[in-house]
Amino acid sequence: MTGMTRRDVIKAQAVAAAAAAAGMPLSATAQNLVTDADLTQLKWSKAACRFCGTGCSIMVATKAGRVVATHGDAEAEVNRGLNCVKGYFLSKIMYGQDRLTTPLLRKSNGVYDKNGDFEPVSWDEAFDIMAEKWKKTLAEKGPKGIGMFGSGQWTVWEGYAAAKLMKAGFLSNNIDPNARHCMASAVVGFMRTFGIDEPMGCYDDFENADAFVLWGSNMAEMHPILWTRIADRRFSHPGTEVAVLSTFKHRSFDLADIPAIFTPQTDLVILNYIANYIIQNDAVNKEFVEKHVNFKKGAQDIGYGLRDDNPLQMEAENPNSGAADPISFEEFAEFVAPYTLEMAAEMSGVSEETLERLAKIYADPDRKVMSLWTMGVNQHTRGVWVNNMIYNLHLLTGKISTPGNSPFSLTGQPSACGTAREVGTFSHRLPADMVVANPEHRAKAEKIWKLPEGTIPDWNGAHAVQQNRQLKDGAINCYWVQVNNNMQAAPNMMQEGLPGYRNPDNFIVVSDAYPTVTAEAADLILPAAMWVEKEGAYGNAERRTQFWHQLVDAPGDSRSDLWQLAEFSKRFTTDEVWPAELLEANPDYKGKTLYEVLFTNGQVDAFPLEETSEEYANQEANDFGFYIQKGLFEEYAQFGRGKAHDLADFDTYHEVRGLRWPVVDGKETKWRFKEGSDPYAKEGSGWDFYGHKDGKAVVFALPYEAPPEMPDESFPFWLCTGRVLEHWHSGSMTQRVEELHKAIPDALCYMHPDDAAELNVRRGSAVKVSSRRGEIALRVETRGRNQPPRGLIFVPWFDASKLINKVTLDATDPLSKQTDFKKCAVKIEALEA
Amino acid sequence: MKLLSKTIVASALVVAMIGGAVAQESVATLRSGVALDENAKPPQIPAMTNNDLRQVRNYPEQPPLIPHKIEGYQIDINANKCLQCHSRSAIGESQAPMISITHFMNRDNQFLASVTPRRYFCTQCHVPQLETDPLVENTFVDVDQVLEYVAGQQKEEK
Amino acid sequence: MLSFIKRVWATIRRPSVHYSLGFLTIGGFVMGVIFWGGFNTALEVTNTEKFCVSCHEMRDNVFQELKPTIHYTNRSGVRATCPDCHVPHDWTNKIARKMQASKEVWGKIFGTINTREKFLEHRLKLAQNEWARLEANNSLECRNCHSPDSMDITRQSKRAAEAHERFLFTGEKTCINCHKGIAHELPDMGQAGLTLPHSKPSGEIESYLKTAQKN
Repeated sequence: MTGMTRRDVIKAQAVAAAAAAAGMPLSATAQNLVTDADLTQLKWSKAACRFCGTGCSIMVATKAGRVVATHGDAEAEVNRGLNCVKGYFLSKIMYGQDRLTTPLLRKSNGVYDKNGDFEPVSWDEAFDIMAEKWKKTLAEKGPKGIGMFGSGQWTVWEGYAAAKLMKAGFLSNNIDPNARHCMASAVVGFMRTFGIDEPMGCYDDFENADAFVLWGSNMAEMHPILWTRIADRRFSHPGTEVAVLSTFKHRSFDLADIPAIFTPQTDLVILNYIANYIIQNDAVNKEFVEKHVNFKKGAQDIGYGLRDDNPLQMEAENPNSGAADPISFEEFAEFVAPYTLEMAAEMSGVSEETLERLAKIYADPDRKVMSLWTMGVNQHTRGVWVNNMIYNLHLLTGKISTPGNSPFSLTGQPSACGTAREVGTFSHRLPADMVVANPEHRAKAEKIWKLPEGTIPDWNGAHAVQQNRQLKDGAINCYWVQVNNNMQAAPNMMQEGLPGYRNPDNFIVVSDAYPTVTAEAADLILPAAMWVEKEGAYGNAERRTQFWHQLVDAPGDSRSDLWQLAEFSKRFTTDEVWPAELLEANPDYKGKTLYEVLFTNGQVDAFPLEETSEEYANQEANDFGFYIQKGLFEEYAQFGRGKAHDLADFDTYHEVRGLRWPVVDGKETKWRFKEGSDPYAKEGSGWDFYGHKDGKAVVFALPYEAPPEMPDESFPFWLCTGRVLEHWHSGSMTQRVEELHKAIPDALCYMHPDDAAELNVRRGSAVKVSSRRGEIALRVETRGRNQPPRGLIFVPWFDASKLINKVTLDATDPLSKQTDFKKCAVKIEALEA
Repeated sequence: MKLLSKTIVASALVVAMIGGAVAQESVATLRSGVALDENAKPPQIPAMTNNDLRQVRNYPEQPPLIPHKIEGYQIDINANKCLQCHSRSAIGESQAPMISITHFMNRDNQFLASVTPRRYFCTQCHVPQLETDPLVENTFVDVDQVLEYVAGQQKEEK
Repeated sequence: MLSFIKRVWATIRRPSVHYSLGFLTIGGFVMGVIFWGGFNTALEVTNTEKFCVSCHEMRDNVFQELKPTIHYTNRSGVRATCPDCHVPHDWTNKIARKMQASKEVWGKIFGTINTREKFLEHRLKLAQNEWARLEANNSLECRNCHSPDSMDITRQSKRAAEAHERFLFTGEKTCINCHKGIAHELPDMGQAGLTLPHSKPSGEIESYLKTAQKN
């Protein structure tokens, strides 16, 4: 496709080696301007940003097989030419010197040894040992003995191929994405309130809202480009207000008209107080509520998602219960009545004036409100409830699904929505919001996948935290981690994560572009192609699906996750992994490889190689001999079309700057559930919450419940963990870019100067932060971007050399199974010099 | 035209293979050899670079780094300390570089009379540097070098 | 009433019959020292950081903002406390400032800034008072520690050295012109007319703008 002869190639290599050896930019002295258009012209192509869920579009310049520049795409609606600092440095993320270029296997004396050192091996040897281990475990323990952990950084087709391989190939639902740590509470929140996942509004709301309320989110650092849209609105439209709620002061407070620091967990109280205020002040939109809302009271005292034998878990009256009973509006009003202004102020520590100003934003019928949240709400042992309770405010006032009225759940990863959620890579899910527990859903998936009836298992697989527990307990023995750094990211590393990976009974495989902390804990490391080294697609937080082409080749022997999944599937036949009864009943499937069943099924291989772009390379398509990405996408799209998840056709996405689903008759949808904007909303309905059969959304009566662990005498501080602007995805890419690393090289322990003084430490002191589970060593920071109140410390988790998840608690929301990384109790001691 | 990378990678690979011949006990480069269950003593918080020397940009679209200290600089709803020196009207006195003209453009690429609020929070794109070493070298190749390579190739063909 | 005053006056005028002149003189002197000393001690007590932050208005607002700044902690461990910057050091001006401070006592009693919200409302005015004072006295309190004579600009960053050469040593500007917000957060600089330096339109242009707006 490149039109180069073999001679050219050799020549090119020689010159490139010379150029690369020089190492530094050419000296500026006595250089004349290079003006030859042949030389200076760069090839610019679009791609989606590799980092957060905002989904900025990037223009990528390539020359001679290298990415030489990137910038924000001026044509993209999301970011209109802007990037944040790490987005501007995307050009460098693929070029860390320690890119993995060959599989590495732990060996001693030439053979695999769990306690051996890493040695380079061929792909064949890697897949051989992997297949051997998988087959042994499948034979001994069945499909529950294997597991897979992926992420919201998988491209759409990679996530789809992984889910299909696990659920329809190995017949195991033990697949979960790290989006479990990130978005699971948002998903369950959506499913409970609306019966269908993902935001109803879109980013156009930013230019239409009169007020923004950040519930525990630090958008200034975590969603910087969306923050530019809020700043734009706030400064250029007088009267616009921004309220920022958090447990500590951070950069988003710089734009706050209404700042509020609340005591951890009391967001539950504040939300019920506002609901109460709306009712007491006659601000309920009665017509809307009557037509479009049901009221329910949720089960209480539901535990903390800890191991079943944990005393806290055993004490709970309704552990893990998401049950809810219908109630009337009056009963709801009565339920929230005790949440008075005085009570809310006392419990939350937020002043009455501030709380009232906040409540008025929602209560005022003439103000359009956008509520925004991410990890502060989702990583919460009552995260699902908080999601539900934010929707309560918008539903009581009818401020939803119209421009500027928008409860908006932001996402962390670039394709948490597009891949992890929509494709259904969770242990209980199938594509398009379907679940494995529902026989009709399984039947539909089996039909689309051309599988015999009863292929897909009906049991819910192990979720993220449970997978680590099962690895430790030896229940899962073969485990494949792709495109995430879960040893660094998962909670309680010392008691659960690390013992699980290093359990002698287990074989751990990690696919990554770089040697991460997780890779180090593995037995086999597979080198992965990343970002624009492969054709890809991501879906952002506003339901926008975006595509890019393969722009450069991956280094060495590294291959995309898609290639790895499909290649691995060639090593299994149905006879080896499917139950005999299934094959007896469906003899056509006998003796076939999983590759044949899953990938050359007449659908995935329906598009020939000729349909790939002439302009761009496509490693996987060339290897497999057909346009595998298109085949997978079109098969996947069958799930959502006609089901309010409609995607456009494959080729369209390569042309546009993304489209927001449902895409019906070529038209994207900006506001779902609103008649006139959403083609699925019934005529004459006004609003139609069609996720529920009666077209109504649910307002939930849910109380305040205490967190599982609070500061006490032995562990007197709250620990809140989080991210920083300059690093993303555990720093695995950003820490390899010099400029980003130097901007913020180390994770620090942000604390109040008075707390520091009391502990006899100061800015720059080395301290040990420890909990009941583990400890780490850090330097104290009493200045800078994060200013905690007394009694709370903040530690970011990007830093591979300071793993704060040795300290965190593996308590989860009992409904979503998402970890609470924002609250646990720690103590701080000075480290001796 | 897409082979520069292959060569660089090929040479990197050779290095890796040589290194690989000696089996690696630890691979997590960013941890500098400290075992996963251990904690290294944390390094001192480094000083912020304050030499006022502009750095070469990796490509023209890269936002310039801040070559001076910005500790305590207020950029909030009330005030923007950076603009005190870098705004259009301030640079006569401050002799600091003026903010780029792109910073006057709104979402629709129209120039405003003043700085666009979407660019108000400077540190979203511009960051200072601390005096510390990179954890891992980066093999990004500057476009000038790539051009030289392409030019060399063209010359050879002639 | 009048007779009472007359009686007292007569008593004071009449020479002492019980105490010697020496006793009265020395006693008067001693008492003078005690009172004067007491006054001065009291003055000194009110001139400490501790006294200033004994009011929550100071402690919770401006004092918190001071903590992360260089005037609170720095490489050499010298701290500028509240009065170092906010109370003149020479006696006359100090007393004048203390007289002014009686108004602040009034504010304290009546709770003018007893909540965060009220403090923020007044912040612009409060800051402007201090800026005006420092501008009028040529940043006297800054100069008590930072005199141009003791400044070695080779030990400053290039940027700072150039600015000090051009503006400080020439007397064109005084410290506070450039260093507003050095120890506390700035108020709304838009309202203060200070968003864009030197952009305040001259009288002629201002009147033109006003007519232009009408049209």
